[in-house]
Amino acid sequence: MFLASKEILHNKARYLLVVVTFVLISYLVFFLTGLATGLARNNRTAIDALPGNYVLMSKYANKNLLSSVVTEDQYDQVASKDTALLGQMTIVAENPKTNKKLNSNIFGINLQGKLKPTVTSGRLPTKNSEVLADDSVTYYGLKRGDRITLNGSNQKYHIVGLTHDRRFATVPVFYTTLATFRQVKYGQSRVHNVSAVVSTRKMTDLPKHTEQITRATLINNIPGYTAQTSTFMLMIGAMIGITLLIIGIFMYILTIQKVAMYGVMRAQGIRTSAIIAALFWQILILAVVGVGIGIGLLALTEVGLPKTIPFYSDTMLLSMIAGALIVMSLVGGLFSLRRILHIDPLEAIGGE
Amino acid sequence: MTTSLVALHQVTKTYGSGHTAVTALHPTDFALQAGEFATVIGPSGSGKTTLLTIVGSLQQPSSGQVLINGQDTTDFSERRRTDLRFNTFGFMLQASNLIPFLTVKDQLALVDRFNHHKQHEMSMTDLFTMLGITDLANAYPAALSGGERQRVSIARALYNDPPIILADEPTASLDTSRAMKVVDLLGDIAHKMNRGVVMITHDTRLLDPVDTVYEMRDGHLTTLDSAGLAKIRAAAL
Ligand SMILES: Nc1ncnc2c1ncn2[C@@H]1O[C@H](COP(=O)(O)OP(=O)(O)OP(=O)(O)O)[C@@H](O)[C@H]1O
Ligand SMILES: [Mg+2]
Repeated sequence: MFLASKEILHNKARYLLVVVTFVLISYLVFFLTGLATGLARNNRTAIDALPGNYVLMSKYANKNLLSSVVTEDQYDQVASKDTALLGQMTIVAENPKTNKKLNSNIFGINLQGKLKPTVTSGRLPTKNSEVLADDSVTYYGLKRGDRITLNGSNQKYHIVGLTHDRRFATVPVFYTTLATFRQVKYGQSRVHNVSAVVSTRKMTDLPKHTEQITRATLINNIPGYTAQTSTFMLMIGAMIGITLLIIGIFMYILTIQKVAMYGVMRAQGIRTSAIIAALFWQILILAVVGVGIGIGLLALTEVGLPKTIPFYSDTMLLSMIAGALIVMSLVGGLFSLRRILHIDPLEAIGGE
Repeated sequence: MTTSLVALHQVTKTYGSGHTAVTALHPTDFALQAGEFATVIGPSGSGKTTLLTIVGSLQQPSSGQVLINGQDTTDFSERRRTDLRFNTFGFMLQASNLIPFLTVKDQLALVDRFNHHKQHEMSMTDLFTMLGITDLANAYPAALSGGERQRVSIARALYNDPPIILADEPTASLDTSRAMKVVDLLGDIAHKMNRGVVMITHDTRLLDPVDTVYEMRDGHLTTLDSAGLAKIRAAAL
C-alpha cells in the first residue's frame, strides 16, 4: 500500500491514464447494463407482479402468452381459490382528442381478485368502461382522466387510475375487466376465453391441450426477450473480458518500464512478495477509483436521461459488475507477475 | 582469530557459455574484516563490479565459496539471499540506487516498512545531519545533484545498520573535493562505526583513508602494497 500509493501520487499523469481507462470501461459497461436491465424490465414487470408462480396456457401457444387461449371448459377444470384468470391482448390505445396513439397491452382480470394491481394514483375501475393504466403511459402523452379507445373501438374507456411498474413485452399495460378484454378481443363478451390461468400453487390434473409453466418460463418466452437479454449479456461479458486484457497489458507495460527500479529494490533486499503486493494494491486502488467515478457518471447520466429510454440501475447487479471489473483487472495483473518474479537484482546495475 | 565478515575462496565467474563465454573472474580469494576499508581499483571491464555483486549476494559465483559471517551462502535460496541483502549489506550501486517516486525521507522509511522492530543505531535525523542532507528530506531523487544523490544513497545504505557497505564507484559523478568527502565518510563508517566497507573506484588520488587496496586486472585480483600503489599513481599522472 505504501509503495503503491506513493508511486501513484508521484506519477499522477501516468496513472491518471489508467484511471481514465477504468472510468470509460466501467461507465460503458454500467450504461449497457442499465439499458439491458431497463429493457428486460419493460418486458416483464407485469409478469413479475403476478401473485402466482404457475401459469396454465394452451399447449399450441408454445409458451407464448400472446398466442395462448384457454377456454372456459379448461379453466373451470383447474379453478380453485389459488387461481385467477388473465386475458392478455396487444392493442393500440388512442386518445381521440389528441390523436395520440400508444402501443400497449390490456390485461383483463377480475379487478377484485388475486391479480388486483396496486393503485398508485386514482382508483380501481368499477365499470367495464374504466381502465387502470401503468403510469409509464404518462411518458407518452396519456394521463389519468383521459378517455381512450382500444383498437379503434367506438366505446371510450376512462383511465381512472394508475399503477406502477406494469409493463409487458416492452409496452405499458392497461388493466380492464375480463368483459372488456373479451369485448375488445372477440367483439363480444359472451366468448368466455382467457389467455391464461395464474395459480399460486402447482396445478394438477391439467386439462387437455394445456400446459403449465412457471413465471420465469413465461418471461423467457416473451418474443424477443431472450434474444435481447442474451445479446446484452454477451456484450457486457465481452467488455468485462476486455477489461482484463486492457488493464493487464497496461500494467504489464508499466511493469516493464520499471524493471531497473525493481532491480534496485531487489538489490536492497526488498522481497518479491512486497513488489507483487505493490502491483496488486496499485491495480486495486486504480480500479476502485476508476469504477467509483464510473458509477458517479452513471448516476449523473440517469438523472439526465429521458424517461422514455428504458434505463434502470439495479444496485445489486451494478455492484456485482463493479466487483467483476475489479476482479478482472486484478487477474490482468497476473500478466506482469511472471516478469516480476524474474526480476534479477543485477538489473539494478543494468543501464550503465 | 575472529571470523571475517566476508571470505571468498577460489571464486570464479563466467558469463554466458560456449563460444560467447566471458570469464570475468578467475579463481579469487578475498576477505574483509569488521572495521576494514578496502578498495578495488582497475580498468574498465576488469571484473570489479562482478566481484562486488558476488560479495553482496546479488549474483552467485560460477564456482567457489562465499562465506558471509562465516556462513556458506552457496546453497542459499533466492529468498534467503534477499533477506541476507536486506540485513547484511548496504549498497551503493554504480547506476541509480534510489527509488524515483519516493522522497529522500521515504527512501529510508521504506526500510522500516519491512523491518518493524529494529532499533536503528543512527536515527534518520542523525544520518541526515551527519550527511548534510536534512534540507533534502522531502525532495525526490530527480531534483537532487549527483553528490546529493550519493549522500542519500549512503544514508539509505547505512540506515538498516548493515555490517557491510558495498560501494561501486560512489565518487564517479563528483568533483574532487566532494569525492574526497564521500571517501572520508566511508572511511569513518569503517573505522568509527566498525563496519566492513568495500569501495570500487577509478580514482587513485582518493585512497588516503583506505586500509587495503586491491587491483583487478582481467579478472585477476591482487593486493597492492604501498610500492605498487605508488607505481599505479605515477602511471595515472
Ligand atoms: N551480466 C553480464 N553478462 C555478460 N557479461 C558481463 C555481465 N556483466 C559483466 N560482464 C562482463 O564481465 C566483464 C567484467 O565486467 P564488470 O562489470 O565486472 O567490470 P568493471 O570492472 O566493473 O568495469 P567498469 O569499471 O567499467 O564498471 C566485462 O567484460 C563485462 O563485459
Ligand atoms: Mg563496474
